Amino acid sequence: MHIVEINNLSKQFGRKIAISSLSFDIKKGETVALIGPSGAGKSTLLNILAGSIPPDTGIYLLDGKPIQQYKNRRELANKIGVIRQQFDLVPALPAIHNVLAGRLGEWGFFKSMLSLFVPQDKQAAANALQRVGLLDKMHDQTSRMSGGEQQRVAMARLLVQNPEVILADEPVASLDPARAEDILEMLTKLVAEEKQTLVMSLHSVEYAKKYFSRIVALRDGEIFFDLPTEDITKEHLTGLYSLKELSQE
Amino acid sequence: MKNKVQIPRKKRRFSFVSFSILLVFALLAGSWGHILFIERAHFFELFNERNLEYAKKFFSGLFGFQEEKPAFVDKESWKNAIQLTYETLQMSVMALGFATIVAMLTVIPASRTIADGTLTVSKRWYHWILFGIIRGLYIFSRAVPELVFAMVIVFIFKPGILPGAIALALHNFGIIGKLCAEVIEDTDARPIRNLASAGASNAQILFYGIIPAVMPKFLTYILYRGEVIMRTSIVVGFVGAGGLGQQFKLSLSYFHYTEITLLLICYIILVFIADFISEGFRKAAR
Amino acid sequence: MKELLAPLKTHNRSVLTLLLLAAFIWSLFSVTWSRDLVHAGGWTTTVQIFEGLIKPDLSPEIVALAIESSWVTVVYAVTGMTVALIIAFIFGILGSGVLFSSHAVRVIAMGIFRGILATIRAIHELVWALLFVAVIGLSPYAAVFALGIPYGGILGRILADMINDVPKEPIQALRAAGASRLQCLLYGYLPLVRANMISYTMYRFECSIRSSAIMSFVGLGGLGYQIQLSLSDLNYDEVWTFLFFLIAIVVLIDAWSNSLRKRLVL
Repeated sequence: MHIVEINNLSKQFGRKIAISSLSFDIKKGETVALIGPSGAGKSTLLNILAGSIPPDTGIYLLDGKPIQQYKNRRELANKIGVIRQQFDLVPALPAIHNVLAGRLGEWGFFKSMLSLFVPQDKQAAANALQRVGLLDKMHDQTSRMSGGEQQRVAMARLLVQNPEVILADEPVASLDPARAEDILEMLTKLVAEEKQTLVMSLHSVEYAKKYFSRIVALRDGEIFFDLPTEDITKEHLTGLYSLKELSQE
Repeated sequence: MKNKVQIPRKKRRFSFVSFSILLVFALLAGSWGHILFIERAHFFELFNERNLEYAKKFFSGLFGFQEEKPAFVDKESWKNAIQLTYETLQMSVMALGFATIVAMLTVIPASRTIADGTLTVSKRWYHWILFGIIRGLYIFSRAVPELVFAMVIVFIFKPGILPGAIALALHNFGIIGKLCAEVIEDTDARPIRNLASAGASNAQILFYGIIPAVMPKFLTYILYRGEVIMRTSIVVGFVGAGGLGQQFKLSLSYFHYTEITLLLICYIILVFIADFISEGFRKAAR
Repeated sequence: MKELLAPLKTHNRSVLTLLLLAAFIWSLFSVTWSRDLVHAGGWTTTVQIFEGLIKPDLSPEIVALAIESSWVTVVYAVTGMTVALIIAFIFGILGSGVLFSSHAVRVIAMGIFRGILATIRAIHELVWALLFVAVIGLSPYAAVFALGIPYGGILGRILADMINDVPKEPIQALRAAGASRLQCLLYGYLPLVRANMISYTMYRFECSIRSSAIMSFVGLGGLGYQIQLSLSDLNYDEVWTFLFFLIAIVVLIDAWSNSLRKRLVL
């Protein structure tokens, strides 16, 4: 069963072609790394997958249903969760509220207002924070946390939101290597436990090979290769990056 | 839930922030209690028939329904009002000028980095005394409203533009001085210390070191106060310090409602234009 | 490019300074400078006023009266600020446009609500007070609303600006988590502007004490009223007592807001 099906997807910003006729499918439970030089269209693709920008042409089926037919953000939030760099959180709120923000799609206005004073679904927040190892920081101000901790809070929010697909746009770009590995390890482990699907854009080919089952390489808005991790050779990678340097000249 | 996790309790500490929150609630309760129970003012009693009658009369008066020739269609009244607006503008500009001059004369000894010698590398015992006196003056100037200054000054000066301008300036020099002194305190001390250790005189330090560094911020603050002064200039007129305010008060006590409308229109236009010009200038100064 | 513009900018500033200077000199011509500007007894009055500074009236009755009037002044400031904050929240949030999804509606709403805020803050609180007294008489609410309305205009504009300036990423993340626009307000915009809004409100609270003091001018109690009474009796020593109380309140609030600002995180 394919959870994401894309056919002939294109997107243009003014004159610049960001994505040109992309087609691929993602199976449920797959972990996909998107790699490629900057400007290759990774972010645009993730934004289209998240439903935050509409494609110009092409078909995008999410769980068998065209993306346009998802009537509101709440319905979409059940299917898709997004994690970016740690600037995603509201620094002025304690961690617990940033985590419970994952519930906002289900809550009405008054319940969400009440929760700011008397946290609702505390147990869910505590469970999520425990799984990312931050239970003791539940009531700490998010702004006082380190970059890695903030990213773990963002993961706890995803756990509470519990979508079927998780889209991650360079989630470790601003972390030092040791922290970055911690986060990737934790995220892939959690995704496996929840039987979720993960699509992540990455700069580092090393990490992509270490943590993902499938690697999709983009270049100039097109698929350069799309292979299971074990089939990827050095030639594939040198091709991907050296070609880019040629095209720059 | 799969596994029940012990939820950590929120640690409650009595901090300055929680003290502030309590103080805010106490102030709110005390103040509204005072209004409701001691002054016995009930909000809904405001909407009684007598007040509605007054309000009707007042507003139809403002729009000139009862008058054959409302002031705002009368050429003479417009001429008069524009003359007053012009005077008010002059008063504000003069006030801003006075305030700026006094603030600029005092701002250098009023900044902490000058008083403790970090900027000029020269320490003098009297610096701290000067600092204290000027800062005290600033606080006095800032804390006393322009209207109170105006009430006192009309005892000394004859009514007109000058007492209004002086009253406005007395309140504003402290604010401009304080803001500008903070700008000096925040400037990077290194280039200025270099000048000082290269043997520059105090005047040279001022013209080549401090002024270029602080000028943009100073201009921004002066223009910002200019806006405020423009808006406040009407108030000092209430106690006889000239301009639109004086006429406004007179018209109100003689129940010349349409004149009030006219004066309000002129006043609002003046404030809007001042805001607009000041915003443009501030962009240029940045 | 920036280096090329730099001398132009300093040039801009000098032109601006010259313009301001010219305007000031122009304003000086409006006054006929002569001895006639001062009242006959002006000098003696000045001396008397400064004598009061050295010997303020600290008799128990006057001090008791000053304490009572200080409280009344604080009461009007606090109640006025309550009204101001309510106005600021309603109009500021609507004027920031973040609640509207369609672009056209947002532009129109921002124009309307920001326009209202600009108009109500253009009129000085004392003018509001005079208008209110003319309509509803000498009710305490005249002072409360006279203070609350223009302050609401100022605070509302600042709130709208702050909301428009928040970083986009956290809001986008909330939207992606399925939050509605109102929920984004609660969990995103408002917490993000909270610290700045509190410091600005504290600063305005200090200003509102001064404004509250002069509300007496339209006949409502407080420190300004006592100052006015003492002035008309020419008791300058009492005037100074009341002024010292006013200064004390302002200094206290200033100290409070300074130490609060240091402790607020983001």
